[in-house]
Amino acid sequence: MASQAKRQWPYWEIALVVAIFGAGAWSSTLSPYYLSIDQLFGSTRAFIIPGLLALGLAIVVSLGEIDISLASIVAVGTVALAKFSAAGAPLALAAPVVVLIGALCGTLNGLLVAKWRLPSLAVTLGAMGAYRGLAFIVGSEVGYTDFGDSYSWLGSEYLLGGVVPASLVLFAIAAIAVWFLMHRTVYGRRCFSIGLNRDAAWFAGVDVVSQKVIAYALAGAFAGLAAIVWIGQYGSARGDNADGSILFVVTAVVLGGVDINGGRGTISGVVLALFLLGTIRNGMGLANIGGPTQTVVLGGLLVAGVLRPVAVSAAARLTHPAKLKAAGAQGDDIGGQ
Amino acid sequence: MSGAPSLAQRAPSRNLVQFALRLREAGVVAFLVLLGLTFGLMNERFLTIQNLTIVASSAAILAIAACAQAVVLITRNLDVSVGSMMGLVAYLTADWAANHPAITPLEVALIALAIGAALGGVNGLLVAYGKAPALVATLGTMSLYRGFTYIYAHGQEVTSSRVPRWMLTSVDARIAGVPALVIVAIVVVAAVAWFLYAFPLGRRIYAVGSNPLAAWFFGLRAERVTLFAYMLCGVLSGVAGLLYAARVGTVTVVLASGWELSSLAAAVIGGVSVSGGSGTVVGAALGAVVLATIDNGLVLLHVAEFWRMFIQGAAIVAAVAVDALIAEAIRRAAGGRTGR
Repeated sequence: MASQAKRQWPYWEIALVVAIFGAGAWSSTLSPYYLSIDQLFGSTRAFIIPGLLALGLAIVVSLGEIDISLASIVAVGTVALAKFSAAGAPLALAAPVVVLIGALCGTLNGLLVAKWRLPSLAVTLGAMGAYRGLAFIVGSEVGYTDFGDSYSWLGSEYLLGGVVPASLVLFAIAAIAVWFLMHRTVYGRRCFSIGLNRDAAWFAGVDVVSQKVIAYALAGAFAGLAAIVWIGQYGSARGDNADGSILFVVTAVVLGGVDINGGRGTISGVVLALFLLGTIRNGMGLANIGGPTQTVVLGGLLVAGVLRPVAVSAAARLTHPAKLKAAGAQGDDIGGQ
Repeated sequence: MSGAPSLAQRAPSRNLVQFALRLREAGVVAFLVLLGLTFGLMNERFLTIQNLTIVASSAAILAIAACAQAVVLITRNLDVSVGSMMGLVAYLTADWAANHPAITPLEVALIALAIGAALGGVNGLLVAYGKAPALVATLGTMSLYRGFTYIYAHGQEVTSSRVPRWMLTSVDARIAGVPALVIVAIVVVAAVAWFLYAFPLGRRIYAVGSNPLAAWFFGLRAERVTLFAYMLCGVLSGVAGLLYAARVGTVTVVLASGWELSSLAAAVIGGVSVSGGSGTVVGAALGAVVLATIDNGLVLLHVAEFWRMFIQGAAIVAAVAVDALIAEAIRRAAGGRTGR
């Protein structure tokens, strides 16, 4: 099973790269401005926030769990930043505290899921409402827009001669860090081993509970980081910030080839999927394709993404009919979570 | 000799499981009574017939949607496209009725049910035969169905003046003082509950969800059962969407967006396990009543709207925690025989 999967992954990432270039080529035919450096780098800003959330979610999903409360944690972070800004606190104090608040929200999810073994989908569904409510309670309905320059620097500044957004640099650093964590450290290997077979990992001496709590805490911390970027991009903190963006995040993680049941996936795949989704969105925006059609295209991509394993095994069945039959009966689980 | 003790051991554990499940629904009812009394003490307007009727009618449609979600949850799957299915069915049906003024109620209902079954069928095919994880597949169709609604609508909406008059009046009708909407909801939930309880196919839905491997060894075709559960979910979402359309009159493209989460919340609060195999649609409907009661009570107490979100979220977490405690107690009492 594992070796079969291993052989598939590079193909998927190559397919994503080809799709990105295809989408880019298509976009360049739509608008003469598409292929300008400013436009290309500027357009990446649209997916920095979901991108940071996707990096955190990928860690959680590799364990076979899920966290749909991340967008709500972003809102908690933005209203917390608003409070700090109103109190006149410097960003050097506010930023670490907000990341910590995010990590705390994540840790609470993680404890509920790992320590008390509650189903992660239901728990984070509840947490999604609770954190969103908390953001409204703290921030009230009225948006706060009175941020100082230092607060909006990360999300609005361009580096290297005003071309590369500072948030893109942040995202690149975060992506490399998560890639290193998941593919080059013991922690990452253990995450995948828990996702593949929780009980086997436990018998092998892996501390499943703390692994999961750390994963949730990291995802929450990334949401806190995304909140800081949010302030720079939109300049406004309100309880409904980032509402509904979790769907895009889950789409990116799944399209990136991370198995939603855990155990398999790569961070490079997630990053490529983000670029693909960003390119398609950007291109459709240039082509004046409306939001609804974009939604249909994203939904179609997601469905195509999940049908990939079936297509692969169907193709394999045509070439080796006997070998797959035994494996197919075992892999017959219909578990969703 | 070895068979006898194990049988003896198993019998009480099964009773215990049934007892605990009954306890779970009784728990929801007890919570509901407690909630009602609290709100009643804090505001005298809460426990009036008039207000309770309002609570019941606002819970009615959510109860059907929660019932739809519950059927799929019991098979150990999930459907986050419930809200989008409701929206698409509502729009297509209302639009069809608006363009064919002479249409009969039966035809409208049949159209809504057929579209619902088709949409649910697509979900079912993806999950059961496409082997796609339920969350991801229905997340995809959630965007697809909502997107189709937007594209079909072309930025328009079906105004209440265009839909047939009877559609709007029938949901507001009262039979012996009880809103028709509530009666429809009770009939639908009771019918589905009876179906799941008394019919072989209904029992198979539980079997597939509670132990897929055992169901497979038993010879059940899990794919067919799952496909059927999704189609039933689609049909029920269609009913809920149609009722919603009739209730609000003017059908917009965003109708029922976010209901996938409310339906899930209601089902989970009502004791339907997201790990499949346990819970009832009656529980899910009760969960919808709990949510409607919280909503109504907080409005009467002039609590800001966002506290509602916080309390709802906390209630979901509390409900799953209670379920886990019950499951743990069953496991312990059964000597580790049940559970995973």
